[in-house]
Amino acid sequence: MLVHSRSGRRASWLVFAVLFVPLFAVPLLVIVAASFSTHWSGAFPSGPTTEHYAAAVRGESLQALTTSLVTAVAASLLALTLGTWAALAAAALRGRGRRILDALFVLPLAVPSVVVGLAVLVAFSRPPLLLNGTRWIVILAHTVLVTAFAHQSVSAAIRRLDPMYEQAAAGLGARPSYVLLRVRLPLLLPSLSAAAGLCFALSMGELSATMMLYPPDWTPLPVLVFTATDRGSLFIGSALAVVLMAATLLVLLAVSRIRTKASYR
Amino acid sequence: MTSGIRFDGVTVRYGDTTVLDALTLTVEPGEVMALLGPSGSGKTTALRTVAGFVTPSAGRVHIGDRDVTDLPPYKRGIGMVVQQYALFPHLRVDENVAFGLKARKHPRAEIPGRVAEALEMTGMGAYARRHPRELSGGQQQRVAIARALAIRPDVLLLDEPLSALDAQLRSGMLAELARLHRELPDVSILYVTHDQVEALTLADRISVMDRARLQDCGTPQELYRRPRTAFTASFVGNANLLPVRVGPDGVDLAGTALKVPVGDAAPGAAATLCVRPHLIGLGEGPNALRGRIAEVQWRGATHRLYVDVDGHRVKADVRELRDTPPLGSEVTLHFAPEDAVLLAAGVNDG
Amino acid sequence: MASAQATAPPVVTAVRPHRSRTVPAWVWALPPVAVLGLVFLYPLGLVVQESLAPGAYAEVLASASFRDALVTTVWLAVGATVGCLVLGFVLALIVAFVPFPGAKAVSRFIDVFLSFPSFLITLALLFVYGTVGMANGLWTGATGADAVSDGPFHFLTTPWGVLLAEITYFTPFVMRPLLAAFSQLDTAQLEVASSLGARPARIVRRVILPEVLPALAAGGSLVLVMCLNEFGIVLFTGAKGVTTLPMLVYSQAILESDYAAACVVAVVNVALSVGLYAVYRVVSRRAGA
Repeated sequence: MLVHSRSGRRASWLVFAVLFVPLFAVPLLVIVAASFSTHWSGAFPSGPTTEHYAAAVRGESLQALTTSLVTAVAASLLALTLGTWAALAAAALRGRGRRILDALFVLPLAVPSVVVGLAVLVAFSRPPLLLNGTRWIVILAHTVLVTAFAHQSVSAAIRRLDPMYEQAAAGLGARPSYVLLRVRLPLLLPSLSAAAGLCFALSMGELSATMMLYPPDWTPLPVLVFTATDRGSLFIGSALAVVLMAATLLVLLAVSRIRTKASYR
Repeated sequence: MTSGIRFDGVTVRYGDTTVLDALTLTVEPGEVMALLGPSGSGKTTALRTVAGFVTPSAGRVHIGDRDVTDLPPYKRGIGMVVQQYALFPHLRVDENVAFGLKARKHPRAEIPGRVAEALEMTGMGAYARRHPRELSGGQQQRVAIARALAIRPDVLLLDEPLSALDAQLRSGMLAELARLHRELPDVSILYVTHDQVEALTLADRISVMDRARLQDCGTPQELYRRPRTAFTASFVGNANLLPVRVGPDGVDLAGTALKVPVGDAAPGAAATLCVRPHLIGLGEGPNALRGRIAEVQWRGATHRLYVDVDGHRVKADVRELRDTPPLGSEVTLHFAPEDAVLLAAGVNDG
Repeated sequence: MASAQATAPPVVTAVRPHRSRTVPAWVWALPPVAVLGLVFLYPLGLVVQESLAPGAYAEVLASASFRDALVTTVWLAVGATVGCLVLGFVLALIVAFVPFPGAKAVSRFIDVFLSFPSFLITLALLFVYGTVGMANGLWTGATGADAVSDGPFHFLTTPWGVLLAEITYFTPFVMRPLLAAFSQLDTAQLEVASSLGARPARIVRRVILPEVLPALAAGGSLVLVMCLNEFGIVLFTGAKGVTTLPMLVYSQAILESDYAAACVVAVVNVALSVGLYAVYRVVSRRAGA
């Protein structure tokens, strides 16, 4: 406790509320409110409706939602495999080798997503790997973008893992592959699922690289939110955004339940 | 089959620091050997070279007649219990105990029997379906021991196994470990500890380690009654170490002649006289030491007196006193000649 | 080492003396590196190669639109980072040290906030400060002006709108490491300081700030890099006047199909942010030590 006087505490809370509510809480509330409205030309929205949601869960929009879900699940699983493998391999290395590997795998974090999109577009629009115009190029770009996050959180978890468990297992006669499968991966499971959730959320909201790459038959939800907003349909855009947020949150919630179960097993 | 452990000039260096210096030591088959020393003495490093988690910079480690120096840990066939138990939190107690058997591809049908046997032996049979986090520290330690025993190792490595337990549990577990060793007389045990009581209670022999080196090795009685170095004398039993000069049939402590066996010590040489505090009595007697009380500590059944004798502080543990002598008062201490040990010189008191 | 093998032949059958039992650790690093090379490093290399087309650099670097975009990108990123640091520090300080019921929920909310895409903020701001949005509506309601679009808030399509959106979106990225650093702070230290008569402002300056400076620096440089690379916020603003480097990459490549120019801008953008990211790694490693 830093502030001891009651008035001082009140004042700090007031500062917090004045800064926090309009900046962080209001925007999300505004989107939700707008998604249920037809007009917003005054202080408050008007014309309550659920029509936008009816539109958001059928046809093109529904397809965009499943596109986003499939892309995010595929990209997270691929990224998790790649990132975990790299993190485990790096943990087995010493000194320079480990540093180089870690640096390579965080590099995508620093490169702008738009540039990743451009690079993937340039590389896979030509033989031998002609992916441009297919869904695979979107999934591939998302995988590249989220791998760095998967790698970072898994390496952090590996660093936190107490080596005594591996040593106890090795002392009991378990060879390295057995230790990996039966001890290290199960102990890493909570962190792995957290990393998967993070990758999923990032992929669900990815717009920058997707804008460079998406083919007409594989339009993820963020792109649809943008095109709706761009042509002036702000309310439909809001409804789509709410669907996007809700889908992301639902999956994150499910993942965190798995995580709680895994850590208390 | 029984096998012991043999350290053959085992040295471990990290950069310029030597953490284990040319350890040569043999643990006989079926023997309990305690590695006793303060922290940083190299005792845990020595144990870890046997387990295979530390690779010696020089020297060889043998288990039985196998040179295991270059073997990875999982091929060494040892059982190990560490201070923090290291039970796998995601596995049940029985799965923890079965871990080593499964990892070694033991015939599946025999595993439940072996697990039950190991759990019975440690009194944890009723907890087979629990998870480690549902157990107390002492129970977790029993499971850790059961897990190590389930693979029926020839060699059991115990690294400070009781330090995480509170005092009362510790003495109970000490008795348990002694019983387990009686039930498994063929298992050689290397027991690392900084606690002399554990070492004295459990070990057939004790190796005293300090500053990366083996200082002394012998049975508990030998080390306690006839320590060979000043370090052993003070670390095991906290003995008084007094600088003396050897005389014809005794020694001279700052002008006071004391009758003690001098063995083959050369007359006139400097030496260290070692006397256990509890073997020093209050009052007149042979080998009387006169001094002033500097401090008195009441320890329940005994009083510990700190007496300044000619500039040297002497510790004496005497039976509880009815009237504690006031600080600064003159007292006389005495000890029997046969209770003193003369060590080679070069050690300051204190 | 070799002499000892002669003295102790391995007679136990359980140990087969084959030497090639394990592959070296670096072999396991090859598959992920190969995949990363194919899907990321090789494409990035092609971008660099493409940017080297004759005359591409000269043309792009000489163009006013590029220089404008560079200046806009850098000042927006620096401004947003400073804003996030100040705002994030104040908010995290209150959450951590002046706890109120619901402070936990706030930290939860921040985690959730981080999992939403950035463009949602711009979308929301369109409703709040847009030409026909809430703020202008309130204004016209209060002043009785004729049309809603006469309101005073028109900054959304200017760089200031982007700045506001970026500060809003990235502040939680500063708060999270700060909250973690605060929770590791020894509260006894604070209690001792305040029992010695130090006022809160002094405790913040002399005790808290020095302790969390590494976390603040790490969070700040991460936000700086992310702001340099931000695309969604700028795209949703729809402002023709605000062009950043990522926006320029997109428009050159997709709208004008000038890949050489897009690649040049991309290389500059990558050099800028990877350079800064390297600084961030050094800073955060020092913070972790």
